[in-house]
Amino acid sequence: MSGSRDDEYTEYVAARLPSLQRLATVLCDDWQRADDLVQATLTKLYTQWSRVRDATHPDAYARTVLVREFIHERRSPWAKWVSLTGEMTDPPVITVDHDIALDLRAAVAALPARQRATLVLRFYCDLNVVQSAEILGCSPGTVKSQTAKALETVRKVLAPAPNPGARPHPPRSATR
Amino acid sequence: MIENQIRELFAGLAGARRETTRVDAERARRRGRARLRWRRAAVTGTPLLAVATAVTVAVTLGFTPGGLRRDGTATGTGPAAPRQFDPLVPYLSFGWLPAGNSLLRGGVSRTSAFMFAGRTATSPNVWDLGIYAAGRCHLTSGAKKLTCGSAGPTIDITRPAPAVHGHRAWWTNSSNMWWADAGLVWQYARNGWAWLILPNMYRYPPQQVAAVRRDAVRIAAHIRYGAPTRPLVFPAQLVHVPGNWRVSSVLYTPDGRVLQASSFALAGGRPSLGSDGGLDYQKGLPTIGIGPDSPKSTCPRRGESNREVINGVRVVVSHSAAGGLPRQDLCAAHADGLTLFVSEQGAHPAIGVASLFRNHLRLLGGNPANWARNPFG
Repeated sequence: MSGSRDDEYTEYVAARLPSLQRLATVLCDDWQRADDLVQATLTKLYTQWSRVRDATHPDAYARTVLVREFIHERRSPWAKWVSLTGEMTDPPVITVDHDIALDLRAAVAALPARQRATLVLRFYCDLNVVQSAEILGCSPGTVKSQTAKALETVRKVLAPAPNPGARPHPPRSATR
Repeated sequence: MIENQIRELFAGLAGARRETTRVDAERARRRGRARLRWRRAAVTGTPLLAVATAVTVAVTLGFTPGGLRRDGTATGTGPAAPRQFDPLVPYLSFGWLPAGNSLLRGGVSRTSAFMFAGRTATSPNVWDLGIYAAGRCHLTSGAKKLTCGSAGPTIDITRPAPAVHGHRAWWTNSSNMWWADAGLVWQYARNGWAWLILPNMYRYPPQQVAAVRRDAVRIAAHIRYGAPTRPLVFPAQLVHVPGNWRVSSVLYTPDGRVLQASSFALAGGRPSLGSDGGLDYQKGLPTIGIGPDSPKSTCPRRGESNREVINGVRVVVSHSAAGGLPRQDLCAAHADGLTLFVSEQGAHPAIGVASLFRNHLRLLGGNPANWARNPFG
């Protein structure tokens, strides 16, 4: 790897790291996981640097790597293991809890990774359907259906909210 | 419009201020370079092991011990906070909770102990208490922030709160929270800090907020530290394992008269992988999730996974890589009345998950009356 190439990489990362971290934080809703995601993304960007450099939009390339890494990581056994153990420790709840329904953040966090990524691309990155589809590696129709499913899920969870204008309150998951 | 609420949520997440980050571009560059060498070696036939040794990744999750600062404040008086907690002793208990609330779950590691209380087990609307071992948290000059470890929470102090058992206290806003006075911090002992996060304050009309805050102060005042608690019991025991193994951290749930260890991680002279979700992980050592099984318990197949029968129990063993390290997982949905997960991360586990299940794990069945206080048999 030539020094100039390393220099380019270092310069790019220094400039774009905050942006990547913000996107990762929105995707993960957890700073620790976001840091891991960005770290993995930066490693991949290094190994694919010639493609990043030659890309028409390097930022779009980097964003694609990060989003796909996020989806891949959420499919991994470890993520599922954590999820499964969480389910195991929480006894089933039969009664409807309106507090749960009110929690937008919890509802979005509970979405499958691909649906959450779709919402992030559409409503945080403000990308259109076609641009989102390119990043997710799927068809525009899939983006539309994933968006609709995600919104429907969140709407259902929030449906009984009696306190309009309420602001969501995050859990402390990132602090332990 | 729900879309606008989601936009607001994402904007808030993206805009949250961060004091620290573990992202290291130089490490990514080194690792990327090593990966390229690996690929080239694979193509040219160079022995891979020599290349692989160049790859080192330090994954640190959550609370890694930070540099201890002496700020000269907040030392307080009275008994000192524990320098470490014993993960086999829950240490904390609520002495009072608002009507309808009860302990939902808790955990202990060497550096912190925590408990959640609420009305339902899955509700996010919980009282979230965490206390930290001596020296873990530091009050900045002017009492503007409380920082707990280099990767731990940084808590923004908003204004003084009523004293808790004579100890000074403040209302707080953690750096990733938007609602004012969402938490309460106080010195629970000399050089030790406690942090109680209030249930989602935004949900309450203004006339109720003051009452919730009063509840918070009352909860804080009645917390018992180091007093006897319901016994912590383990549904399985480890047998014939290295003598230096110990439990590094435990998560538990209340179950009748006992606290059931639902997950626990082991330590024993291996590099730490950091903490996440209340558990401290170590490279090559198991983390175990366990509890009574149910008819719905299943082990999904994922990645490179194999179904096996070990000791007459159907298990799924998976191999994968996560965070740059090889990972082994074993899942048994129905094992003598229990559902069990074992996970290990690292290229050279002390005892592989299958061997651990076969030779080193004594399952104690689904009846808590038969469970053991000592996880080592």
